[in-house]
Amino acid sequence: MVITLFIIITIGFMVIRLMPGSMYADDADMTAAQMEILRAKYHLDKPIPVQYGIFLRDLVLKGDWGTSIKMYIGVPVFDVLKMKIPVSMYNNLFSLLISLPIGVLLGIIAAVRKNSIVDYTTSFMVVIFISVPSFIFATLLQYYAAFRSGWFPIIYEASATGFAKLHSLTLPIIALSLGPIARVTRYLRAELAETINSDFMLLARTKGLTEAQAILRHGIRNSLVPLANVVIPMFTHIMSGSMVIERIFSIPGMGGLMVSSINNTDYPLTLAVLIFYSVVSLVTVLVVDLAYGVIDPRIRIGGRHIE
Amino acid sequence: MSNVYSPTDPRFAHLGPEKFRLRQTDAVLLDAKFETKPIGFFRDAAMRFAKSKISIVALIAISIIGFMAIVGPYMTPYGYNDQNLDYINLPPKIPALARFGIFQGTRVLQNRRVDALSDTSRYPEGSIIRIDNRRVMGGVELCDVTVDYYRYMGIDDDVYFLFGTDYLGRDLWTRVWRGTRVSLIIAIVSVICNVSIGLVYGSIAGYYGGSIDMTMMRITEIIDAMPDVVVVTLFILYFGSGLISIILALAVKNWIGTARMIRGQFYRFKNHEYVLAARTLGANDARLMFRHILPNSIGPIITRAMIAIPSAIFTESFLAYIGLGIRAPESSIGVLLSEGQKVLLYYPEQTFFPAVIISILMIGFNLLSNGLRDAFDPTQRGTE
Amino acid sequence: MVEKERPILSVDDLSVSFRTYGGRVQAVRGVSFDLYKGETLAIVGESGSGKSVTIKAILGVLPKNGRIDAGSILYNGEDLAKFREKDFHKIRGKKISLVFQDPFSSLNPIMIVGKQITEALTLSLGMDKDKAKARALELLHAVGIPDPETRFYQYPFQLSGGMRQRIVIAIALASDPEILICDEPTTALDVTIQARILDLIKEIKAQRKLSIIFITHDLGVVANMADRIAVMYAGKIVEMGTSEDIFYRPAHPYTWALLSSIPDLDTKEELVSIPGSPPNMISPPKGDAFAVRNKYALELDFEEEPPMFRISDTHFAATWLLHPNAPKVEMPEILAERIRRYAEEKLANAR
Ligand SMILES: Nc1ncnc2c1ncn2[C@@H]1O[C@H](COP(=O)(O)OP(=O)(O)O)[C@@H](O)[C@H]1O
Ligand SMILES: [Mg+2]
Repeated sequence: MVITLFIIITIGFMVIRLMPGSMYADDADMTAAQMEILRAKYHLDKPIPVQYGIFLRDLVLKGDWGTSIKMYIGVPVFDVLKMKIPVSMYNNLFSLLISLPIGVLLGIIAAVRKNSIVDYTTSFMVVIFISVPSFIFATLLQYYAAFRSGWFPIIYEASATGFAKLHSLTLPIIALSLGPIARVTRYLRAELAETINSDFMLLARTKGLTEAQAILRHGIRNSLVPLANVVIPMFTHIMSGSMVIERIFSIPGMGGLMVSSINNTDYPLTLAVLIFYSVVSLVTVLVVDLAYGVIDPRIRIGGRHIE
Repeated sequence: MSNVYSPTDPRFAHLGPEKFRLRQTDAVLLDAKFETKPIGFFRDAAMRFAKSKISIVALIAISIIGFMAIVGPYMTPYGYNDQNLDYINLPPKIPALARFGIFQGTRVLQNRRVDALSDTSRYPEGSIIRIDNRRVMGGVELCDVTVDYYRYMGIDDDVYFLFGTDYLGRDLWTRVWRGTRVSLIIAIVSVICNVSIGLVYGSIAGYYGGSIDMTMMRITEIIDAMPDVVVVTLFILYFGSGLISIILALAVKNWIGTARMIRGQFYRFKNHEYVLAARTLGANDARLMFRHILPNSIGPIITRAMIAIPSAIFTESFLAYIGLGIRAPESSIGVLLSEGQKVLLYYPEQTFFPAVIISILMIGFNLLSNGLRDAFDPTQRGTE
Repeated sequence: MVEKERPILSVDDLSVSFRTYGGRVQAVRGVSFDLYKGETLAIVGESGSGKSVTIKAILGVLPKNGRIDAGSILYNGEDLAKFREKDFHKIRGKKISLVFQDPFSSLNPIMIVGKQITEALTLSLGMDKDKAKARALELLHAVGIPDPETRFYQYPFQLSGGMRQRIVIAIALASDPEILICDEPTTALDVTIQARILDLIKEIKAQRKLSIIFITHDLGVVANMADRIAVMYAGKIVEMGTSEDIFYRPAHPYTWALLSSIPDLDTKEELVSIPGSPPNMISPPKGDAFAVRNKYALELDFEEEPPMFRISDTHFAATWLLHPNAPKVEMPEILAERIRRYAEEKLANAR
């Protein structure tokens, strides 16, 4: 885990520093002397391994992520992140938190009513929502549900708080969640349909439980365990989808920050954003692993993974 | 118990002794096998595939889009980068469909002064089609005017743009199909790279096993632990956003899944008798791989490739949106979508066509891969 | 034998089919049998002959694509074949219970076994928690599980196969059923454990005065267990009789084949397996389904299905060989020889 993170940071740093062109190449008005001062200030005059050493030392020992050099000149990168992360996380976690229960519910309904109209409709919607990219939905929603009908604000209202804030985030969150909801639905439907056909469900019914009791106590609980498997890819999916969505709805979050830092060649910022994304996805893996331990007694007690 | 008879029951008395001859031929002892001649695995899969109507529809839709991606750009006199500032942001005008009241090249102009409507320098003759929503505001009478936008802009009647034009007056029909072509090429080539790398890597790991396998799999684990966004971004930052670099960026993580699957196939088939038999008969390593193991992996490989294509199309658009995609003036679905997004509120039709095409492609490829999976592996689909 | 009583369960002319992509699978085709109080009825047949489907129909737990096409299942004057899902709740577990083949898959892997037992009591009998737990511990003890207090809180994966099957039996017994159906309860277990589970079933049957339907594909397993035996082939019962009838006076060529395939521990003869495989049940063959695999098949077997003929008051077989016009065919010599030897041994033991 830590090793992976270290590798990512190293590769990220090297890629960004070794990129063709100087970071100040386009600032034509600067004199050579000024440039030298700046380069010295940010250690750009030293060999790259030394730069990396300094970067890593500051990061680990002082929690210093460097300083923004273009967009927020002189502002520590960390402060910029502190400003943006909550906005993005609000969206992404919100989307994750509504996707799971809705998807689970739809999946259960589809599995229990297998081969019914409800099931077919759900399956049809699932194909569409899984296939069509979230930014297409975002565009659709923005045009119809915001611009044409005026139900929602067209873009995010940064100054809003409380309900108004949620209101202005409704469309982005819906656009972000449709895909994940469909994924969870599809997964749970397949999983539960299989569980329903399992021997222990049959035993549950033959020992006198009603079908509903059997599905509730044995089917659903058991199908939820492997759901943890889809949460990781789902969350990374939400995060990358959110980059585009943030752009469409002008939400000042990490996605927008990454895009503009790349376009403005503000590399310390880019690097920090990339590290942030890596950390989040590693943490997701960790959380899911821990969750497995809690839900699945075979791992908790047996200390081994299910085959 | 009902329906039990005495052996001497009169109702069986009519059965004469000739019926009771023993049929003691050893030949019939085994029950008759299927009478039809064995059909090859691929013929079989193709037949199952052809039975699924949804897959066929998906295949047809993809084929049509693919065909248009090839010939579409040549169907109009305009090049994909021919700019004409007299023709900017024109609405779609499809003469063949105009009779049905769609794509007539009209546009609604809002909040126009009623008294200016007769000014032919602003509204050329015949350009006004309908006037709605007359109202008085601040003493001025306003209305919404539906105009023939081509006439309104003073464009000759025989000039038309099937999908309209963009902010530089470029023909969107040409750009949309060219963009579709670019996106499809990116997706298909990247999937070919992904499959080739995965195939070679997975075969080596799976065939040799042991510590080679362990090391190779450890490497894939590390690459796999990095989020896609990060890998793709770093890749493009380093190599620039050319066609090749985007293609490779899309393959850079995806091959891992393929490699794992191939390796899995090797492990599954390695111990099968026929492979062991071939080995003892002295088949050499490479021959063994290609003759015995890979044919069994073709089904899953094709299925995986079909799933990888829509995800590559998605990533391409995603990159275009975040500014790391194909560079202007080249077109791609992603480029068109992100350019369209900028003027969505004024000219939604510029987003409409690329959005429809990407949606059909994504849905089509997803359905196609489902159909292929079922066709290649009928056991995955329950009996219910 | 308990012959003159009224049966507690009476299956008559039961037919079950499944809808599949290939067409309708005729899994059970006109099965009839009675189960009397306190007896063990064994249903024996190759895998795929429709044994499990028959009992699933009895308990109303057929897969969604299956349906009862015809026949009745009388229990206590009610026809279970006409029951709806909610009617079954007073039957399942409380009157008729099931023990399955595979103890590895029939327990919920993520629920402690104790709860899987008490569940039946609290949810469907409305017993309170403490009582249910006390009863579960009692049951665990009764099925021979040492240290019930500890086992109660363990998960299935912490128990051995034999243990798990005991747990399944405990679950089946929880609500004191009248009828216990065991569907190949020992097939998935080691030989030594098999014997112990069989002993357990015999023991609880005697203690609780249960009636048992015991399903197996191995005639050898039921030799010391069954009062009566029904031999099933391709969705039909082809021979039925007391244990003695079947083992000493088998009449159907399929039963001969089954008996010949039991490995003989005394002589270590090579076991004679039955050639070929069961027919495709989507379009069962005309005539006798076993004819194509039958060394003693008659011309008539390929034309017309043999009816069930009465051999004695307890013994029935569906084969044209019983018809007066049929040639006198004797069972295979090895089998006849084996039966003679068994009979002698039995006599010797009796003395
Ligand atoms: N859900 C189902 N769908 C289709 N066919 C089934 C289903 N369940 C059982 N069958 C078929 O019914 C026949 C009898 O199966 P079963 O009763 O399980 O055999 P066994 O005697 O081994 O218990 C088999 O041919 C099997 O293929
Ligand atoms: Mg069975």
